Amino acid sequence: MKKLRLDPLSLAGLACLLLLVLPALGSLVDAAGDPDAIVGPRLQPPGPGWWLGTDNLGRSVLPRVMEGVGTTLLLSSAAVLVTAALSAGFGVLAGYRGGYLNELIMRVVEVLYSFPAIVLAVLVAAVAGPGQLAALASIVLVTIPLMTRLVRAAAVAVAGRDYVTAAVISGARLPRVLGRHVLPNVAGTIAVQGTYALSVGISVEGGLSFLGFGVQPPQASLGVLIRQGGTYMMAAPWLIIGPGAVLVLAILSINVFGDGLRDRFEPRETRSLV
Amino acid sequence: MRLLLWWGGRALSSAVTLLGISVLIFAALRLMPGGFAETILGPFATPEQKAELAARYGLDQSVLAQYGHWLAAFGTGDFGTSMISRQPVAAELAARLPVTAQLTLLAVAAAVLAGVPLGVVTAVRARPGGGGGAGRLLSGLGVSVPEFALGSLVVFVVSRYGLQTTGYLLPAAVLSIFAISATARTTRDAVLGVLVEQHITAAVARGETPWFIIRHHILRNAAGPVLTLTATITAYLLGGALIVEYLFNLPGIGSYVVQAVGRRDYAVVQAGVLLAAAVFIVMNVLVDLLVGLVDPRLGRRA
Repeated sequence: MKKLRLDPLSLAGLACLLLLVLPALGSLVDAAGDPDAIVGPRLQPPGPGWWLGTDNLGRSVLPRVMEGVGTTLLLSSAAVLVTAALSAGFGVLAGYRGGYLNELIMRVVEVLYSFPAIVLAVLVAAVAGPGQLAALASIVLVTIPLMTRLVRAAAVAVAGRDYVTAAVISGARLPRVLGRHVLPNVAGTIAVQGTYALSVGISVEGGLSFLGFGVQPPQASLGVLIRQGGTYMMAAPWLIIGPGAVLVLAILSINVFGDGLRDRFEPRETRSLV
Repeated sequence: MRLLLWWGGRALSSAVTLLGISVLIFAALRLMPGGFAETILGPFATPEQKAELAARYGLDQSVLAQYGHWLAAFGTGDFGTSMISRQPVAAELAARLPVTAQLTLLAVAAAVLAGVPLGVVTAVRARPGGGGGAGRLLSGLGVSVPEFALGSLVVFVVSRYGLQTTGYLLPAAVLSIFAISATARTTRDAVLGVLVEQHITAAVARGETPWFIIRHHILRNAAGPVLTLTATITAYLLGGALIVEYLFNLPGIGSYVVQAVGRRDYAVVQAGVLLAAAVFIVMNVLVDLLVGLVDPRLGRRA
């Protein structure tokens, strides 16, 4: 097992992400308070007792943001796991086997890729009904085309290597060739693209919930919070500033971490001209 | 000859993709719960009224027959009639096109004019062995701010300080932050890839100035991925900058189609989505042609 070395910026991204996720998973949410409890007057600016202010019902924003981060990240991660599994399967199969199977898979992928992302998400929500399932399915459908394409491209490159030919000659069956020889060598691509897909997923969930088709209140997600905050924006800007900052921070840390992963898995030489 | 065959195949696969999209969108609309009859007639409509309405729009035929009629009409340029407004869909879309087109044009222009120079500069200044943390962080930030978050913030600032929103400048600015950052990142990657090629080393050895090298040896060679990205961004924005239209109350194509989804106005959704996808596919084919012209090596490889 080679050690995974990352540059400081990517590590900072990872640390920042963990800092956002851990409180949402652990019991710290309880320490911050009940996200649904009414703790004080309505629309109060940040102060002791409500560190990020209170919303239009007098609920403290801080625990709601924590619940929101949890919902958003859990949904997006689950969706990206589904995307990764499907892309890995289809991409490796298409890249290794080629032929009609490849054509078929790439056509389906291109159909999905040709939809504008948020329009696709709205259509999914209209079919499945607004809610978490719609958000999850939307993220999967939006992220799957790019990932499948890139996994396929990586698999095409691997399929021509000598060790794959050697395995085939020595009588390995298809599942073994794919599982033992092709898949491990495209894992880096899957990891990098999975990271980027996660940030896209958070953005899609946010946009969909913001339009009212995703996660439904009273459950909090970052998109739901920003949508609700928008109504009282003039009187209480902290209602969108808190969740908005957390949302951007989450996506930024994931992207920076993804860049680090990419540099690690696909190192390139660089030179400077000046 | 081989090239001609290749473009023929490309056109064929594009047609297949469009067909797939038409099936998907048609099926999705029929799978949606509720129908437009409920939207028009309200919850107290009698079954007879609903049946009459369905018959008027041909919705009493089999789904396959409906699909056939729609596709045949679409092929002749007849996009159907909105079931809500009873206007031709083509006219309604055309009325909303100027908004969408102006937004797209402004955002894409900003992306190219600002993103490409930024990407080139950060690439040629990159130090070997990584670094460039500040630029990386900044362009990373640009692609990390979702439209709805940035847009909400802009709307807040504008209304709080009573600023005048003139035309499409602000919504286009919201759209262009992502476009500029994405373009800058892609340009940087592409230029970095060219920089390590041997003809650059040769140019440096001949004593050519950096500016000369950039203009003569780098820009063309790095153009491929940047052009592709620009086409993708353009096509997506033409398909509807839904969230920005919603935030700034702009009557563009995106909000029109989504409103139609809510009302189950089948003809509008079908035409809107299929056209958006067609624009996307055509843009992609065009850009591949363009890339082949700008950088003939890539054209030949294709």
